[in-house]
Amino acid sequence: MSPPQSGHAPNLSVFKKSLRAQSLESSIENLISLLKRRQIKNSRPCAIATAELLLRVVARFRWTDIGKLLARIQEVGQRLIQAQPREMVVGNIVRRVLGMIRDEAKEDRHEDMSDSASNMGSPHRRLERATLSGLRDQPPPTFSPLRLDSSKTTPPTINTDKDSDDVFGSSVGGSRPQSSHRPPMLTSHPSYAHLNGIPVQQSMFNLLSATPSPLSTPPGAVSPAGKTTFDAANLAYRVAASSKDLKAEVISGIEEIIDELDQVDDQIAAYAQEHIHSNEVILTHSSSVSVQKFLLKAAEKRKFTVIVAESYPNDHEATHAAVTGKLNGGLDGDDMSTEKFLKPLSSAGITVILMTDAAIFAIMSRVNKVILATHAVIANGGLIAAAGARIIAKAAKVHRTPVIVVSGVYKLSPEYPFEFESLIEYGDPGSIIGYHDGALVENLEVDNPVYDYVPPELVDLYITNLGAHAPSYLYRIVADHYKQEDINFHNPELLF
Amino acid sequence: MSSSEATPVESPKPVEAPPKQSQPDAAPKLSGAEIKKQKAAEKAARRAQAAKEKQGGAPAPPLASPAPAQKGDGPKAQKSQQKRRGSMSTPKDIPIRSQKGIVVIPEEPKKEDKTVEFFRHLYKPRMKGLAGAGKDAHPAVLALGIQMSNYSICGSSARLVATLQAFKRVIESYTTPPGNTLTRHLTSHVLSPQIEYIASCRPISISMGNAIRWLKLEISKVDIDTPEADAKKALCEGIDVFIRERVTFADQVIANSAAEKIRDGDVILTYAKSSIVQHALVKAHEDGKKFGVIVVDSRPLHEGKHLAAALAGLGIEVKYCLTNGLSHNIQDATKVFLGAHAMMSNGRLFSRAGTALVAMEANDNDKPVLVLCETIKFTERVALDSIVHNEIAPPDELVITGGALEAWRDIPHLQLCNPMYDVTPAEYIQMIVTESGNVPPTSVPVLHRLGNESQG
Repeated sequence: MSPPQSGHAPNLSVFKKSLRAQSLESSIENLISLLKRRQIKNSRPCAIATAELLLRVVARFRWTDIGKLLARIQEVGQRLIQAQPREMVVGNIVRRVLGMIRDEAKEDRHEDMSDSASNMGSPHRRLERATLSGLRDQPPPTFSPLRLDSSKTTPPTINTDKDSDDVFGSSVGGSRPQSSHRPPMLTSHPSYAHLNGIPVQQSMFNLLSATPSPLSTPPGAVSPAGKTTFDAANLAYRVAASSKDLKAEVISGIEEIIDELDQVDDQIAAYAQEHIHSNEVILTHSSSVSVQKFLLKAAEKRKFTVIVAESYPNDHEATHAAVTGKLNGGLDGDDMSTEKFLKPLSSAGITVILMTDAAIFAIMSRVNKVILATHAVIANGGLIAAAGARIIAKAAKVHRTPVIVVSGVYKLSPEYPFEFESLIEYGDPGSIIGYHDGALVENLEVDNPVYDYVPPELVDLYITNLGAHAPSYLYRIVADHYKQEDINFHNPELLF
Repeated sequence: MSSSEATPVESPKPVEAPPKQSQPDAAPKLSGAEIKKQKAAEKAARRAQAAKEKQGGAPAPPLASPAPAQKGDGPKAQKSQQKRRGSMSTPKDIPIRSQKGIVVIPEEPKKEDKTVEFFRHLYKPRMKGLAGAGKDAHPAVLALGIQMSNYSICGSSARLVATLQAFKRVIESYTTPPGNTLTRHLTSHVLSPQIEYIASCRPISISMGNAIRWLKLEISKVDIDTPEADAKKALCEGIDVFIRERVTFADQVIANSAAEKIRDGDVILTYAKSSIVQHALVKAHEDGKKFGVIVVDSRPLHEGKHLAAALAGLGIEVKYCLTNGLSHNIQDATKVFLGAHAMMSNGRLFSRAGTALVAMEANDNDKPVLVLCETIKFTERVALDSIVHNEIAPPDELVITGGALEAWRDIPHLQLCNPMYDVTPAEYIQMIVTESGNVPPTSVPVLHRLGNESQG
């Protein structure tokens, strides 16, 4: 389990530090136990921890092909999700990474294909490439690990630029020598119409369309049919080069996701001034860095009033701390400098009114907008938020007050449970009836849900780092960010 | 807390005791005179400071920030201190609120207005102890005031009964001064200061207002020629009858009628604590009905805990949750019973803050909402929202000892708001169970008129 941390309560930053020192397997175990013990909790820390861990997984994995890498990440992801199924961001990040890897692989192959489609004049090269793309899925296990090792020690000099996606560079890199003898585009050659057993369409349409038909097959399904004679050494080198390069791309892709997690609140906050105007009364619930940054951004230009419902008994301490400005890093369980020094709203000159959750209905008739933070967003447009959010949203609906949900795209989950109770986590009843209440502890059944499900009809607007959307549009964003085949990767029985 | 029957007829005495052992904990060695001296010195210093600032255009360098605010607030604060000191020989507050330790040193003048703008019209300074009570206040009333302000007597009917009983004692100990008649003297010279004092401890509830109106009417109806003893006796008996008819019997009728609505297997959801809901549930339990109760509760009073404890003690299956669990538990309920602070003439329910949320959720889940309410709580007033008419409890009640909020007054632009009541729209209420029958919310003005006419 987690190693003894000298004087530190294990949290995100400790975990991050330990990542460097520990072996991969113990890092995974460490994160699992941290998630189980809720020592890393809330969406962002979970997301960052997951992304960092996956980065390690990819970096340390001696991988030979995409399929194995995907399987490895799925396996790790599955274990993380099982550790804490209700932290839905963990699954989201795993899916994002899976989707990103698939994209990279596809792009790679796509280049090969478009290459081959445009390089009709060089059959040898084309053949070799096509075989390569098949090989990358199912490589001959005899030599590729060896080549990979060698490629690790001596990185190939073909393509050190991480940003350019193409290994063979012909579609983009026109300056390369290989593509200098590019033939006329429109010549079609019947003998190449069937390669690898897959009919290759060679028409103008194919040239223009972004995805040639062979690529519509999911990865792994392409079977190399034609293993013709080729220069084995050359091929192995290329496999190594391409996988090395792909690895770099995947790693940079994960780093991009981590960057996104860092910046997401500021990106959301950029929309604040569009939505908040002078002298408005904003009601918010619980404490959230996203919402606080959003309101602080709006406060740069405008003066308004914020009413904060304290979210007793689970988050009231964090809310009180956020309101009074004593954040001391306890808010999200990590001490990232930006969050630590987030100033309270009241110091920005905004009037902040703290109220109990019970008084919401009383004040709602004076509220202009309700801004909610979320724990997770579901594809149907509903959201999981701190308990009490549902009655706030409902009270807002009754008073015809718009409800705005502020959420990073990373919280958007493609999962769509049919039974929302399964998403709700129940907290410590001791925070409601403690042992100082004596006999009550034994006589009462005490209920302390941590989260609420807010149905989409109670939400008017989502503001994400991509902009503002209606709840009914979220499924599109889900489709943009996750691959269909990854949605249920953690429970195979749901895979059709 | 105390139900309408268990009201403090005898309880005033224990509360009266504290003033004798006056100095609580802060500085036990200082005598009253010493404190007086100390305060005078401090006041003089502050005056000098203010004067200095007025002379020199620029504020004094070291105390720049508190000084300007003090200019505005200072005189007022001083005045109130003066008044307090004048009234009692032992100028010490009784430590009623645990949150607010009583300090000998006068508080620094407030830096900014900490009242919430929406509710600013509702803020009233609350009396925190005996200091500052008018010398006219009767001991029973003094005790009652303290008990009300620290919520040991809480709830509309309990406060009503307690007030009437205290007034009974006021009347009993009253002697008409020579040259006056009871009818003309009692209300204006004796009763009014008592009411004023009670209102300064906690604003008068609507049921109390109704009862006081009735009592004044009764006093005015006393014949001038009636001997004083007879008149007093008649009034005291009148009060007893009033309590019996309008509260005790009414409660029984309502409890019976509401208990009839409970069937085996029902799950009754209720919010906070209402003595009459408790009666109804206990009655149903005594009738042998098998049902469960869900008690929803909220900060800061946690009244529901007492109800839950009482019901669980009887062996009723009780589930307890706070407002955060409301939307999860409402699905399990079959009926919702609510108590009332008052019923407005436009059919809206005026009750403990949070009641409206419960009614809203119940309505959304198609659960019937029954309000249990004596007609004494009906009023001709109307309410559209919870802001125009409400009671604002001291914001310091929201502070959790040891929590981040303790220093909230020092944080600029931060306000705490603690409204006591909210208004539930009439459309959420299916039925009002009263002693005169079960009526829809639209019939509130009708019943109110009937009740008043029968009263004369």
